Amino acid sequence: MRLRGVGKRFDGGVEAMRDLDLSVAPGEFVSIVGASGCGKSTLLRVIAGLVPGSEGTVEVHGEPVTGPREDVGLMFQRPALLPWKTSLENVLLPIRVRRRITHDDVREAMRLLTLFDLEGFEHGFPSQLSGGMRQRVALARLMMTGAGVRLLDEPFGAVDELTRETLNLHLLRVHERTASATVLVTHTISEAVLMSDRVIVMTSRPGTVAAEVPIPLERPRSPEMAYSQRFQELALTVRRALGPSGSEGGRPS
Amino acid sequence: MTRPSRIPAPGLGRITAPTALGAAVLLLWDLANTRHWVSDLILPRPLDVAAATRDLFASGLVWGHLRATLYETLAGFGLAAALGVGTALAAGASAVVRRMVYPYAVTLQVLPMLSVAPILISAFGFGATAKIVIAALVAFFPVFVNTLTGMLDPDADAEELFRSLRAGRRRTFTGLLLPTAAPMIFAGLRIGLTLALAGAVVAEIVSAQEGLGFLVQRYSSQLNQDDAFAVVAVVTGMGLLLYGAVGCADRVIVFWRHAGRLPAGSRARERRVRRRLAAADRSTS
Ligand SMILES: Nc1ncnc2c1ncn2[C@@H]1O[C@H](COP(=O)(O)OP(=O)(O)OP(=O)(O)O)[C@@H](O)[C@H]1O
Ligand SMILES: [Mg+2]
Repeated sequence: MRLRGVGKRFDGGVEAMRDLDLSVAPGEFVSIVGASGCGKSTLLRVIAGLVPGSEGTVEVHGEPVTGPREDVGLMFQRPALLPWKTSLENVLLPIRVRRRITHDDVREAMRLLTLFDLEGFEHGFPSQLSGGMRQRVALARLMMTGAGVRLLDEPFGAVDELTRETLNLHLLRVHERTASATVLVTHTISEAVLMSDRVIVMTSRPGTVAAEVPIPLERPRSPEMAYSQRFQELALTVRRALGPSGSEGGRPS
Repeated sequence: MTRPSRIPAPGLGRITAPTALGAAVLLLWDLANTRHWVSDLILPRPLDVAAATRDLFASGLVWGHLRATLYETLAGFGLAAALGVGTALAAGASAVVRRMVYPYAVTLQVLPMLSVAPILISAFGFGATAKIVIAALVAFFPVFVNTLTGMLDPDADAEELFRSLRAGRRRTFTGLLLPTAAPMIFAGLRIGLTLALAGAVVAEIVSAQEGLGFLVQRYSSQLNQDDAFAVVAVVTGMGLLLYGAVGCADRVIVFWRHAGRLPAGSRARERRVRRRLAAADRSTS
């Protein structure tokens, strides 16, 4: 996946991104951090082909992106599950949209649900699940797309700290055993450092890459790494690149 | 001390609370008659109305009229439901259709139906057709507006999800827009059905040879208030039954909006998946 000089100006005149370069290799995990409103969601939407960029080129597997693609999967902050479908049916949705569901698809979906600790809830409806469980169903659905590029927009922003840690572990586990390129948008520096091979720091209006911090920690990663000296130094580097607090239109405290 | 409104107050339950209010109203009504606050010619005693209702059924007199009104109501409602849902789905799927039909749908709603009833009756005759048309006309708008509102309000994230999965127009329609609109469609159908009944009865009052509206009209012109009230009670009962029937359909079709129905739905789906997988295992081994 490769972006060259990508910019985006909305009809209302808001320039959300300017001259943004980014490339992510297969198997690589990249996090994007930046102040609220700096264009992170817009960036993911442009990569996913949901909104057209105003300038520059976006390529996935060497082909220019002109619209949504089967090999690009997306997950939002909200799980966006269909309330009339069970967990299993929600996970199977990406297949359902493309073709007839086979028995192997069903088994694969069940396997993913089990992998995300949702055994026993395969046939439950979203309203019967907790917030963290719904996110895991959404994550399983993303995996079910089989997409080589996975884009996650603050996927666990709305769940509590402990659940979030578990969800991140789930994500790490699947990432480390597949060769897809993953882009994670997050507000949490430690999360970005723990998960990624590289952290991209974005500045505000127009959004562009302010710094790239490589994270040379070994894999597989574990939550305990967050307490090591190396980790703390890397987190501090990212924090410094974000600039002094308050200068980016953050909320008054 | 205030309590959260979701927790029901102790003491009066789901059955006793409305029963208590109903009993109080009936008592007051009866007092109004026996104490001569209101003339017998205007307000009969509740027990007399009950007796008159029983006699209407016992003599078999009411059945033919009931059938006529039910037929007009259901036919008119069916027409309104088909046209209302159909037009709204088309309007929801296409902005051009929406702009085309919306002003006329509103005009139809603003039009006082009672004023055109005589015109429709002279056009369609004194039989059932005019009543069906009137019932359909009054029931159309709520069905149309509710369906359209439901169609235009899908979850933004879910819509983006469908787009990112490259779902086509048909798939998005059947897989997202239609189920999203379903609860609103049923809300519209509920209102539409009661309005269809009201439309049919009012049309019968204007001019008819049969039907419950015709009966009310005849009895009250004879100053026979017991029987007139009894017919109104029959119309009300019919309305409640029809309303309940749509409610049942709603619980079955829009099951995900009724928490109580989810466990049964889960079990049914689990059985289905199990059966399919088992069948697949047998055929491969
Ligand atoms: N559809 C749109 N039309 C006009 N402006 C938009 C639109 N979507 C986003 N913007 C603007 O683009 C800028 C970037 O928005 P974006 O949602 O990408 O930010 P973000 O980095 O994801 O923020 P957050 O961290 O709060 O999610 C904002 O100033 C926003 O107001
Ligand atoms: Mg965002």
